[in-house]
Amino acid sequence: MTLKLTYLWRNLTRNPVRSLLTCAAVGLPILIYVLSISVIHGIERFLDNSAQQLRLAVTHKTSIINPLPAGHRQKIESLDPTHARILTVCGVRWIGGQIKDDPRQLTTLAVDHDTFASTFPDFGLKPDEQAAWLRDRQALAAGGATATQFGWKVGDKVTIWPSVPPYVGMEFHIVSIGPDAADPTTCWCRRDYLDEGLKNTGAPGGLVSFFFLRCASKDDLEHFRVAIDELFARTPDETLTQDEKAFMNQFITQQFNLPRNLSILAAATVFVAIMAAANTMSMNFRDRLNEYATLKSLGFRSGLVFSLIQSESMLLCAIGGLAGAATPFIAFNYTPLREVQIPLILTLQVAAADCLAALGISLLIGVISAIWPSLMAARLHVVAALRNLE
Amino acid sequence: MTLTLSYHWRNLFVRKTTTALTVLVIAAVVGTFTWLLGFVVALSDSLAVAADPRKVIVMQRGSISETNSALPPEDFNKLMQISEVASDGQPLISPEMMVQVSLARVRDGGTTQANVAVRGVTEAAFKVHRNVKLLGAAFSTGAPEIIVGRKAAQQFQGLQIGQSIRLGFSGTREYKVVGYFSAAGGPMESEIWGYLPSLQSAYGRTVYSAASLRLADGADAAAVVKQIDGPAIQLEAMTESEYWQNQSSNVRFYQAVCYVLVGMMSLAAVFSVANTMFSTVAGRTREIAMLRTIGFSPGQVRLGFVIESVLLSLVGGAIGCAGCAAYLAIMGNTKDMFGASNFTTIAFEIHLTPLIIAGAMLMVAIVGVLGSLAPASRAARIQAIAALREP
Repeated sequence: MTLKLTYLWRNLTRNPVRSLLTCAAVGLPILIYVLSISVIHGIERFLDNSAQQLRLAVTHKTSIINPLPAGHRQKIESLDPTHARILTVCGVRWIGGQIKDDPRQLTTLAVDHDTFASTFPDFGLKPDEQAAWLRDRQALAAGGATATQFGWKVGDKVTIWPSVPPYVGMEFHIVSIGPDAADPTTCWCRRDYLDEGLKNTGAPGGLVSFFFLRCASKDDLEHFRVAIDELFARTPDETLTQDEKAFMNQFITQQFNLPRNLSILAAATVFVAIMAAANTMSMNFRDRLNEYATLKSLGFRSGLVFSLIQSESMLLCAIGGLAGAATPFIAFNYTPLREVQIPLILTLQVAAADCLAALGISLLIGVISAIWPSLMAARLHVVAALRNLE
Repeated sequence: MTLTLSYHWRNLFVRKTTTALTVLVIAAVVGTFTWLLGFVVALSDSLAVAADPRKVIVMQRGSISETNSALPPEDFNKLMQISEVASDGQPLISPEMMVQVSLARVRDGGTTQANVAVRGVTEAAFKVHRNVKLLGAAFSTGAPEIIVGRKAAQQFQGLQIGQSIRLGFSGTREYKVVGYFSAAGGPMESEIWGYLPSLQSAYGRTVYSAASLRLADGADAAAVVKQIDGPAIQLEAMTESEYWQNQSSNVRFYQAVCYVLVGMMSLAAVFSVANTMFSTVAGRTREIAMLRTIGFSPGQVRLGFVIESVLLSLVGGAIGCAGCAAYLAIMGNTKDMFGASNFTTIAFEIHLTPLIIAGAMLMVAIVGVLGSLAPASRAARIQAIAALREP
């Protein structure tokens, strides 16, 4: 065993440039793979949370910018007077928003204050914060990533200029910061405060962009997804009801479709790593042909020669893969990179599981890239090979 | 005297396996890069058409997109005082209303929906947006009729001439498609246009969304923007190119992320090429010594290996581009993107133009050169006499 390990190590170090280049050519794709998978998993976690929350999103059938009358809420609630199947309904109005003289865009949603906490438990409003939210019309519950980005704390007063009417600065009091909010880049405010602002400028209130409702079970979700659209069919303001995952997914696919494009990129990187490692192994094979012949002529079995080449390839790829997987893991978990003020990075989690999976993939890359040379070496005809010796 | 290209070309076939594997590494990197470049160029081309320096978009203060803006007629009238606006008897100012309609996509058989822009316009719009050309009939001002941009008609369902879509505040008014228009490939080709007063009444609005101005020859757009932002008018103005830069900022951010990742992949390709070239140099020590003996200089030997590496990379690049073209042909090349804040879908098509292929090939050539620098130097340092003496 020790002999075998020594042999492997000697083989790896006798052409250090080649080994280093191979490690780098495997490690870099593994690093890209880890980053891509982390982003994809982040988006999947977000969508899975949407699915778990058993929420439906109701929009206007004509388009998402057509507002719905706030009165639709009572009609939806009346579909289930017992509140056993439709747990809670919340009207939401998108107001976007900006801080004055700051180009960064906010995602601010004005919601029905009475049902916000029960409809969006995944924001994580604490009981005392909820009391403040219900008490103060100017309450703002800010997503963790946005709060970090703008340096907000609970108790701060901020003025947000909405991107829709009334277009005037609205002062908010931050009552909660959701560090673990499912959507850490969204801020929530009260719709009654928005309507008050609209009334002052003469713009119509009482309108919402969409309704979110929580159902008790998956069956209820499917039932009301159809029932709500039927309720408003052939009336003014027909609706389009989707489960929240489908609703959110349409935004993601229309913004460069990051999950799909990153999956293609990840597949391409693994392919690159396999080809790069296979190249090294085939060059090694060519250089050491007579050694393998010698080993076999000394009586080493084909199986051993096969496993020697396989182990060397796996070891080489594992070293590269370890470097490639450990770098982002350490960088995004234990360095100041964690605090970079870009939402994509703030929400990026490089999980140990993904890094371990990447390490597994690099071992697999080692196996695949050595298939041809190791089989050739195992099948090597001693006499024929030794005859070719120069 | 330099080594001939055919010498290097034939050398690539001496070690077929190594060459093939290196070529595949490069092909994978270039294929990914070409696709990304194709996406960026297609989007930029579409938006560049909209970057008319003599066009200014005016919105309500605080709004960043036409969709969210509301411009009352009295605010609109303030724009009449701007002297730099072009005129043909009347100042070329187009009041417009922007709404959207949800339509099924053609490319996936209608399983997903896109948010297509509907723009209410008057006759002035055709004078302000100069690149808009009618292909067929115009909408009449008396009937509920619309005309459809060329790309919208191709990519979204229900927009063929004679078909109707439902619009309006409550989505209850039927509008009939009567004609198409082109806009030189710009984002307006993804839009639906109708008569402003008719659409205003359908949406129960008395205000406009925004206005577009055409400036007179030689007018300073920056000064006009400043005047509109200023105390006399107090509205939000931006040039058309600025507007579309903002709308595509989210997509551009994601593209930048992918560029960084593809850049790292290229670095992996450089290492792989270097590995191959080191091996090539080591395997041809005696041959190089022979070349030196018959009079080739170290510089020529070095250049020779750089050329060989670039040749290798270009073969990989060609395969990568072909792979990308095949992918687009099989998977379809129609794409659309969602504006950052206007909730509007812009449709475009990815084409592998000569420029994109040239860009990809340049990138591969750089990979080839970088990958060969160290091995080629090693080759140039080979001492002829010592190398020939070796067994």
